[in-house]
Amino acid sequence: MSSEPSDRIELLQGTLDLIVLRALATMGPQHAYGLAARLEQVGDHPLTLNQGTLYPALVRLDQKGWIKGTWQKTDSNRDAKYYAITKAGTRALEKQTERWRKLAGLVNKLLLGETS
Amino acid sequence: MWRLRRLVLRLFHVVRSGAAEADLAREVASHLALLEEEFARRGLTPDEARLAAKRALGGVEQMKERHRDERSLRWLDDAWRDLQYAVRMLRRAPGFTAVAILTLALGIGANTAIFSVVHALLLKPLPYKDSDQLVRLVVTMSAAQSPTAQPQRSGRISVAELSEIRSHSRTLSHAAFTAGPVFMTMTGRGESTRLQGMRIAPGVFDTLGERAFVGRAFGSAEEAPGAAPVIIFSYAAWQRYFGGDPAIVGQNVALANSLSPNSQLDIEGYSVVGVMPKGFEFPDAQVQFWMPASWTPSSGGALLGRLEDGVSIHAAAAELGGILRGMRKDQQQAAVELVRVLDTVIEPVKPALVVLTIAVAFVLLIACVNVANLLLARASARQREIGIRVALGAGRGRMIRQLLTESLLLALLSGVAGSAVALAGTRLMRTLATTFARIDLGVQLPFPRVEEIGIDATVLMFAVATSVITGLLCGLAPALGLSRPDRAELLKDRTHAQAGARIGGRTPVRGLLIVTETALAMMLLVGGGLLIHSFVKLATVESGYNPENVLTFQVSLADLAPGSQLKTFADDVVGRLRLLPGVESAAYARQLPLIAIRESAWFRHTPQLPDPPPRQTSAAPDARLVSQEYFEVLGIRVVAGRGFGATDTAGQPRVLVVNETLARREFPGENPLGQYVYAGRDSSPWQIVGVVADVRQFGLDQDPQPQFFADFRQWPVTDPVFFTILGPYFAVRGADVLTLVPRARDIVHGLSADAGLYNVATMDQLVSNSLSRPRMYASLLGIFAGVAVVLAGVGIYGVIAYAVTQRTREIGIRMALGAQRFEVVKLVLGQSLAWTVIGIVLGLGGAAVVTRYLEGLLYGLTPLDAPTFVAASVTFLLIALVASYVPARRATRVDPVVALRSE
Repeated sequence: MSSEPSDRIELLQGTLDLIVLRALATMGPQHAYGLAARLEQVGDHPLTLNQGTLYPALVRLDQKGWIKGTWQKTDSNRDAKYYAITKAGTRALEKQTERWRKLAGLVNKLLLGETS
Repeated sequence: MWRLRRLVLRLFHVVRSGAAEADLAREVASHLALLEEEFARRGLTPDEARLAAKRALGGVEQMKERHRDERSLRWLDDAWRDLQYAVRMLRRAPGFTAVAILTLALGIGANTAIFSVVHALLLKPLPYKDSDQLVRLVVTMSAAQSPTAQPQRSGRISVAELSEIRSHSRTLSHAAFTAGPVFMTMTGRGESTRLQGMRIAPGVFDTLGERAFVGRAFGSAEEAPGAAPVIIFSYAAWQRYFGGDPAIVGQNVALANSLSPNSQLDIEGYSVVGVMPKGFEFPDAQVQFWMPASWTPSSGGALLGRLEDGVSIHAAAAELGGILRGMRKDQQQAAVELVRVLDTVIEPVKPALVVLTIAVAFVLLIACVNVANLLLARASARQREIGIRVALGAGRGRMIRQLLTESLLLALLSGVAGSAVALAGTRLMRTLATTFARIDLGVQLPFPRVEEIGIDATVLMFAVATSVITGLLCGLAPALGLSRPDRAELLKDRTHAQAGARIGGRTPVRGLLIVTETALAMMLLVGGGLLIHSFVKLATVESGYNPENVLTFQVSLADLAPGSQLKTFADDVVGRLRLLPGVESAAYARQLPLIAIRESAWFRHTPQLPDPPPRQTSAAPDARLVSQEYFEVLGIRVVAGRGFGATDTAGQPRVLVVNETLARREFPGENPLGQYVYAGRDSSPWQIVGVVADVRQFGLDQDPQPQFFADFRQWPVTDPVFFTILGPYFAVRGADVLTLVPRARDIVHGLSADAGLYNVATMDQLVSNSLSRPRMYASLLGIFAGVAVVLAGVGIYGVIAYAVTQRTREIGIRMALGAQRFEVVKLVLGQSLAWTVIGIVLGLGGAAVVTRYLEGLLYGLTPLDAPTFVAASVTFLLIALVASYVPARRATRVDPVVALRSE
């Protein structure tokens, strides 16, 4: 579906979802901008990610019932939609993290095995 | 869990996307504001900050698009939007929509109605267990192979052969036979009642795989000579005559056998052993009871067998042929075949079904062509709209989908309307196909299993499928043509007429439409015309009697007396009927016209019977026993001499009346009046005193046969054929005869307290009933032909009217240059009629090929009946003329100035 160049961060389906869930779990409720800023801090190359790419992930997670968005005021008294992780989201995060670890471990092993 | 939740939400957003869109826009705005704030804090000017914010967020529209993809189901979303758009388009053109839906509804409805018949007859199994295993026997011998030198065709086996088949056949798991109909008068339960039943080998129920609902089915104990008389009732008869009494088993029912072979008319007690389940019919719903056939080695009936699992019908036929040839020394050459019971039911109506199916397919095709033409015409009006949408980036596939959605919607709406048409159609067919439930009339049902014809889930599925295919058929051409317009060309501000001319208006396409419609409609018109012509011929054929104002009925008597007593009773009934006001004449007879009971008797010029007596063949004339006023009541013309008179009583000289055919055959070139002849086994002479007009005795489509008439009073009572079978038929001529029914009942009751009337019908009804089959076929095909012709007429009108609007400018120029009105009319008509004539010629050719399927349905016509072909051509030409004259006239009203200025 995506025609984005393949070096973008969200090239692995689900990776972005996991990162968003993780960020919300550790930071508490965040609006999209806040999440984007957080991801930029973590990433090595700030702004390689268009902040807009978050939105499909957010609506997907929202429809799965893993996060919930509510309109609130920011510190600067602006309207912003704050997303919070739900209980189902927390459970899903645990599962996904576990899966990701396994997968990453497997991929790592394979890659190491190939180079050696 | 979350998968389901997501699916539901995505589905929801297909339909309701407004709120989510607004929320997203608000969120994006807020996001941009926050970004701007951040960039401003980093020291950018407000303008720079806004730009940077936008850059950071990325392409908003693309993002929104991807958000939508995530949020809802894209293809469904598109389809939903196409559908909404299609609804708007159809509502904007109500005239077009109504005509298109009506046209397609007729086509889909006709197809669905006929499919319901095909479904009921061909596709549904018979209501017996594994009914495709049930077979009947057909043994055919050509004249050369047959010992009697007559071609023979029979499915009869004897009891001895049945037992041989049962013990040796490895291909039939069950075998039995049906011995034929039986009529019984049930007495001792109030008004005596006539029942129709079937004599069967008791194994029939096992063969059919059916058990009794109450009590038991017949068992092997009943398959023995001299078994106690037993009877099984149908569920309907049990309900009607015994009030569904569960204690019926073991009861004794008194039945008088009206088909007893001996002259003794005895009442016998039959012990009820069972009642069959509701809905069980064998062989049809008219049969109210079953009783075991007589069981002597030579008695028997038509084989009913069940194939062993996995055995082919040919293998079984081969084995059966071996067994039968082993037992029938005189039939070594006979061809032994088995046919499935279902095939025996539908075989007679197959040609009609083929014809009707072709007919409705044609109607639908014509409807499709019409609607495709309408869509094409409309498409040209929408060139600019489509052009703009394509210029704005809609892909070709997207446009085709959009246009197909419109035609599919149109077709599905037509499918709904068509189902209503089909419902009305099945009602009409059931009405047309319903005949008197009387075995004695011997009328072939227009359709067997008529009560099963109806709209059910399968039939509705067919309607939906037909609609979808129809939608694709008539939408595809316009969609393909339209979706490929030259964008630049279309965006130029050309006149609508010229833009349209490129796509919808190519002359060869329009011509092809007219030719196709004309050819299809012509074939139907010829077919319908043939059937109607044939029906009219049949209905107006010289029947030899006058069926108007004649009431007929039979009487069921509790204690059927021996012949002479019954005759006295019949004389009393007729005598009292004659006294009723309004009655002109009354009579009784062993049979009436259209009663399928044939009795023949030897007819000779010498007293001696040939030795040995000849076999009863068709050479023996039809013998009719009638009472004195029979000819008057039935309006049979006395051609020469006289009819029966008051003086022709028992002791007087015996007189006969012959019909013209018999007179011609027996007395060529002589005057038959006064001649002495001998009839039956009797060796006393009869004098011929009269010649009556020929009567079509067994059906209007059957040529008159040689017949003689004798008066009951003079026929020897000792003759075994006298009054021993069915009670007589009474016939009364008078004004308003149906009002006589209660009085006739009173008369009969007055003479015998528990006597009742049955088989009450006017002679007109009997005639009408005998015509139900040809009437139904003529009506159906006539209706289809009518619809086809009207649709084709509308189609021609549409094409020509459109062509005229296309050529407004050309016509304007011609008129400006001095063309006269009639020249313009000639121009338009000439083009239209040229196409129509091509279509008519093609249609006649097609009809000549197709009408041979009608052969068996025609009376007095060949399938290539020239007058019908000519009449159909002329009719269609006139319709085409009218359909194109209207737009042609409109063309002459074109004002040259307006036409030229509009450019």
